[in-house]
This record gives sequence, C-alpha cells and structure tokens, in this order.
Amino acid sequence: MGISMEKTRVLIAMLGLDQHEVGALTIARLLRDAGMEVVYAGRFNLPAGIVKAAIEENVDVIGLSCHSWEYLYYVDELLQLLRTEGSELPVVVGGSVITPADRQAVLDKGVRAAFGPTAARDEIVTTIETLARRRRN
Amino acid sequence: MSERSTQSRIPVKPHYTPGDLPGFDYATQLNEPGAYPYTRGARPRPAGRGGWIQRELSGEGDPSRSNAQFQYLLAQGQTGLDVIGDAPTMGGLDPDHPFAAHAVGTQGVSLCCLEDYRQLYRDLPLDRITLSHSLPAAFAVAALHTVARERGFDPATLRGSVIQAPYYCEDCSYAIHMPFKLRVRLAADVIAFCSAAMPKFHAFLEDTYFISESGLDSVEEMALGFVEIRGLVRELLARGVDVDRFAPRIAILLNCRMDFFEEIAKIRATRRLFARMMREEFGAKDPRSWAVNIAAHTSGLSLTAQQPVNNIVRGAIQALALGCAGVQAIEVSTFDEAFRTPSPEAHVVGLRTQQVIDRESNVTMVADPLGGSYYVEALTDELERRIWEMVQSIEAKGDPAALSDSGWFRTVFQAAMERHARALADGTLEKVGVNAFQVPDAEDVLLRDVAERKIEPCRERVAWMAAYRAQRDASHVQAGLQALDTCARDWHANLLPAIVAATEAGATMGEMAGVLRRAYGHPADPFRRLGDPL
Repeated sequence: MGISMEKTRVLIAMLGLDQHEVGALTIARLLRDAGMEVVYAGRFNLPAGIVKAAIEENVDVIGLSCHSWEYLYYVDELLQLLRTEGSELPVVVGGSVITPADRQAVLDKGVRAAFGPTAARDEIVTTIETLARRRRN
Repeated sequence: MSERSTQSRIPVKPHYTPGDLPGFDYATQLNEPGAYPYTRGARPRPAGRGGWIQRELSGEGDPSRSNAQFQYLLAQGQTGLDVIGDAPTMGGLDPDHPFAAHAVGTQGVSLCCLEDYRQLYRDLPLDRITLSHSLPAAFAVAALHTVARERGFDPATLRGSVIQAPYYCEDCSYAIHMPFKLRVRLAADVIAFCSAAMPKFHAFLEDTYFISESGLDSVEEMALGFVEIRGLVRELLARGVDVDRFAPRIAILLNCRMDFFEEIAKIRATRRLFARMMREEFGAKDPRSWAVNIAAHTSGLSLTAQQPVNNIVRGAIQALALGCAGVQAIEVSTFDEAFRTPSPEAHVVGLRTQQVIDRESNVTMVADPLGGSYYVEALTDELERRIWEMVQSIEAKGDPAALSDSGWFRTVFQAAMERHARALADGTLEKVGVNAFQVPDAEDVLLRDVAERKIEPCRERVAWMAAYRAQRDASHVQAGLQALDTCARDWHANLLPAIVAATEAGATMGEMAGVLRRAYGHPADPFRRLGDPL
C-alpha cells in the first residue's frame, strides 16, 4: 500500500474535566469531511491516557480541543510523556479560549500548532494534513 | 439565518395583519396579565422599577473568594445572588480528585463540604435576598438548609432556586456521572423535600439555558424543557405528592438569544403552554400552579471572542427583549464570556446593562407592551404549536430513561452543535466580527486585556482538603455515609434527610455522590482513581 494513499488519522481529545464539547465535535466533523479518519476520545482524558490511545491507534496527529484553561497545565505533562515514549507525534491545540499570548506560550513548549477562535477551517485542515504527511514521510 | 426566517427557521412574512390571527380570541389566547393562561405575564401588574431580580452569574476560587464577589456585586446594586460551581463541583467530585488538578475554582466556585457553604454564605442576609444556585441540587440544598439553621434562619423563609436538568446534564457539559434513574430520583427528592421544608424556595428550576447553549433553537430548547418538566411532574405525582404542593415553585431558567421578537414570543408561548398543561393535563387547582416564573440568561453562545466589546451590545439587546417579555430574573452573560467566567469589570457592565434598562428605558411601565402586535401574536401561536408538536413527538418515542441511555438525546444536542457551526461557517448565521465586519487580530484590542486575564487554579484547596479530612471524626463520617447507603437502597425513601445528616457529619460531596453511584451499581469514582468511600 502506498504511503501517500493512507488516510490521515487524528486523535481528538479533551483534557481533565473540560466538558464543553461543541468545539471537539465540530472539529471532528470538519476533519472527517476533509477525508481524514478521526479517533474520537471525547471528554475526560488525562495525558497518559491520550498518549496510550494515540500510540495504540497509530494516529498521525494528536488534536486537543480546549474550552477551559486546563490544557495550559496538561500540555507540559503530555509532551514529556511523548518524549519518554520516544514519540514525535505532533500535538495541536484548538479552542475559543486560546488567546494570542497562550498560543505563543504553547508553541514555545513544543505544541506544533495552536488555533484560536479566529482560525479558518481551511487553515486547520491544511496544517493538520501537512503535519501528518511530514510525519509519515 | 436567512432574512426571511427566524433563528428557529420559522418563515417570516414582510409584514403581519389581522388576517394572520384567524379566530383570535383575546380571552382565550391572552387574557389580562396575571390571569389564565398567563400569556401576558405571571403577575397582574407591570414589572415596574426593579421589577425583576437583577443578578450576575458568579463564583470563583474558594468559597471565601466567592463570598467577597457576592458582597461586591450586592454593593453595586445587585438584587439577588446566582452562584455556579467549578467543573469538579458540577461533576460531583471533590477538589482533591486527580482529575480536578487544574480545574479547581477557575470556572466557578469550589464547594464540597458544609464548611465551604458556611464560608460561601458568610454574613449574607439569607432571609432577605434570593439565592439562585447552579450547583448539584441535592448537595447544595442540604448544605443551605443546615447553614440557615445554624445561623438562626428558618429554612421555610429561604427564597431562591436550584437548577434541575436530570434528563440532559450528562450530555450537555454538566455531567455528574450518575445513571438516569438516580438523577431523576435526586431531583424529585429535592423538590419533595423543599415543598415541605423550604416552601418559598424554587427547588424545581427547569434549566433550559444550559441545555440550549450547545446550539438548540428556541423550539428545541423549550420542547426538551417541557419533556423534562412533564417527566418530573409525573414522577412526583406517582409518589403521591399533591400537584399544588410543588407546582407553584416550578420555574424555568431559559435562554435569550439574538432573535428579539422570537425570544419574546417564546416566553409568552411558554407561559401559555405551561398554564394549560398544569391545569388541564395535571389537574392543578391553585392558580399559582398555572403561572410559571421565568428567569433568563442572555445567550453566551451568541457572544464572540472577536471584538468582545460588541458583546455588551448583544447583552443589552437580549436583556431588553427580556424586559419586554416580562420575566422574574435576569442574568446578562458578560462580554468576556468567550474567554472566562466573568471578571469584576464585566460583572458590573452586565449589572449596569440591567440597571439602565430598568431605570432609563421605561419598558417595564406597562405589562406585555408587545401584546396585540400581529407579528408577535402570530409568532407566539406558531412557537406554541411547534414546541408542543416536538414535545409529543419526543414522548411518542417512549421511556425517557431509554432515550437517555441509548444516546438519543445526545444526538439532538450533537445535531444542534453541528448545525450551529455550519451556519456560522457558511454565513447563514451572520455574526458581526466572525463572518462579517472582521478586523485583523492586531487591531482587535478593545477590552481584550480584561477578557484575557486569567484565574489561577485554586491549588491550595488540595492541602486544605487533606487537613479537612484528617480533622473529621472518622466514625461519624462513616456512620453518615452508611446511613446514606442504606437509604439509597430503599428505592422509596427520600434521600435528602440522609444527605443533610451526612453533610452535618462532615462527609464531602464526592464521598456522598460516590455512595449513591455505588448503590446504583456504578463505580463510586467515575474515573476509577479513588478508593471506596465506605
């Protein structure tokens, strides 16, 4: 099977007790409509569970939907766990609570892309596709 | 939406005439304000100055900090209190739960034991203000009941409310991790308990606000709300509680979106539907059982992260609609809603919005000022018809417990979320600053500094909890939890006395919720991190 024919697989998850799911469901639908496979982990995840699921499900990108500030604290732990696993899976965050300053802060920590409320749908799809392709090749 | 239909997709004509109200009969459809079927308002007199309870949703950090927030808002002229719990509290989890680590006190107040409620209500005149609670009802009511007695207030004098949404909370961002039957039992127990012990308190506040924030339209919002009200009424009647004991204290906390006339018509249709249902279907005899109190939140979903100052305008338009509809209480969702729970600055702007409408606009001088408008009456009739049709179609699907367990309700919410996102993306729902009249991020600066300011998680609560647990009389706590467990396994017992007793013995909400989950065959800790509370 040619690598370029493979569908991009994305894990969509929310962290901690953040349970405003509108964004996560919207983004899952957007990515599926764009032809990707979405592994939907939904609400109530801790970093360890996300890393485990991402590796087991062999996804190309981890996408975190954020409607509370919990991600700001969980992101460090998640990236550390990935490093411990020797994984270079790209992590992407998105959500209405992400301000320009937060965006810069998480990018500095090693998150590969961060989408605030003004991000265009095309931009999200293209960025995730590009990260996935780079990872597979 | 298209310029030819309302936000609920009801087609709209260029103008309306008497021909749009065939067979219109004033006495049947409207009648005087304060008279059956209460279309024009629950009360006979216009609201007048200060005619609704003016409050802003509050609660952050630990209980003392929230108490300071209350005192600040009361000093600014707020006339009631409205408190919401943080994510762990709303989920029936204690602040030292491993999943709560970064969520304590950031989206509401952290509350889990009697001492917390003592701090929350400290120095407040509990007999003179109304206390509205967006909290897990059974635990909040038990603690309020005890604190009032400790402070020398008769619980029978307490006024206020607590939200109930047992059918939908698991699917609408307020999961308490309990099975359907337990959620319904707790709701009915609280209502039955309060109908005797706190008869002035609205223990049956049907909350259609939070269920509709996923994107439900006005018809779906009220239809799901009525399905739940009807389910709880039937549950209470089956227990032998007289309808006129509890129905006067049913209230609805609803959503007010941007479609000005539709939201007003929805409120008028809701009052009429409620009155007819209570009198004709459930046989209520007391006129107070027919006239439903309405409280409202302006819509958080209608607010935008872009150009947050515009949200002040949105809040004002929605609050003005509520002033025209005649409601008993208003909360304005604040301009920083997209980013955080309200900052002090945003709180005051929300409150001032209400005060300006109240004191300066004269909209409340006359009851139901839009009554008789051909458009508003036609829309009220149409909304009533559509809401009732949807109620019947949902009830025809069968047992609500099965609909909840099978995920059918969840599909309704998901479809609404997706519809809303699509409408914003394709521009059919126009949103200034989002899909019209955007400005580059760099120019979007007004009020953003306030909106983006953060609250740190209240991490000191974890150590506080450890000390709290250590100083309790352990055998006392265990006895309280054991008694709660025994009570929970007697399916006909009311849980409230046992929850009050366990609370007074020092048990935490997380422990009590765990005992209840366990009695219903679910893990005490929904995330399976904690040991058994018993």
